[in-house]
Amino acid sequence: MHAVRNIKLCTKDCLCLFVCPTGATNTETGQIDADKCLDGCRLCVDACPSHAISLVYDRYPEVKRKTSDVQSALESLLDNKVVQEAIALSVAETSEGTAKKLATALAKSNRILAEDCARESGYLIAQSDAVRQLLASMLDQPYGEDFPADAVSQLLELL
Amino acid sequence: MITLSNENIGAVASICSNLAKACEKQHRAQESKLFLQIEQYFNERQVKESKHGLIDLEPLIQADISQAYVQCEDAAIAAEDRASLRAVTWGKKVTAIHKSLLSRYAKQQEALLDNGQLYLCEACGFIAISAQVPDMCPICKAPASRFVKIQ
Repeated sequence: MHAVRNIKLCTKDCLCLFVCPTGATNTETGQIDADKCLDGCRLCVDACPSHAISLVYDRYPEVKRKTSDVQSALESLLDNKVVQEAIALSVAETSEGTAKKLATALAKSNRILAEDCARESGYLIAQSDAVRQLLASMLDQPYGEDFPADAVSQLLELL
Repeated sequence: MITLSNENIGAVASICSNLAKACEKQHRAQESKLFLQIEQYFNERQVKESKHGLIDLEPLIQADISQAYVQCEDAAIAAEDRASLRAVTWGKKVTAIHKSLLSRYAKQQEALLDNGQLYLCEACGFIAISAQVPDMCPICKAPASRFVKIQ
């Protein structure tokens, strides 16, 4: 578990520089050096007055599986929201004025609802077997040359 | 688990856009970018629904409110799955807002936005019609900073 800095929140009070026992927080990129950071130390996290630093796991435990009833109910909701997103998108493309704005809002809203269903049906975080299986199965599909297979392979290595 | 097919391209796009957000929140910028690349591919291949108007959304929304959310809520309660119950609780409220916006649009047409603009809560999907950005999301309690104006 190592510390990471959210640069958008950092107010350059630099308390992290003075409390860090290894100098991990003192880098030219504004990011914390994960190699020097002590596992779970959190001195910088507690010292930071702007809550810009947090701890993240290096290896996540496996996500708890949902029951099959919940899983299938969430997956059908996910499918429904995706269909509604597609309809709203096509309306947004072919209309003007209020209808276009409303359709755009509905498309974005449906995407957020779909993402929430995805999150709860086993795809909350990337470090899970479900995600690794999904990515691996993409490489078995006949998707053609414009499919970003490199991105999939890189993710399988990183996760 | 989702099995890839031509029918669920949109679902896979949503899974990937969610994972891009998840990685961003874990400060994994590289992984986030890679998921966005894959999402882009599936977005472009999502089945186009070219014949539809806004009115075609109404029966689908009604079916979600009266069936899909009810089923999901019952299953989540039976499994004591509070995380899924949270998603259902927010989702069915947002879906009820979709229904109300469509019926207001059916009556008022262009005049719907005479006295306000559309604001979207990027946390839960709530849509407001308001003269200025809402102070707080009534559904998920996100602050004003989580709202975007629909241009």
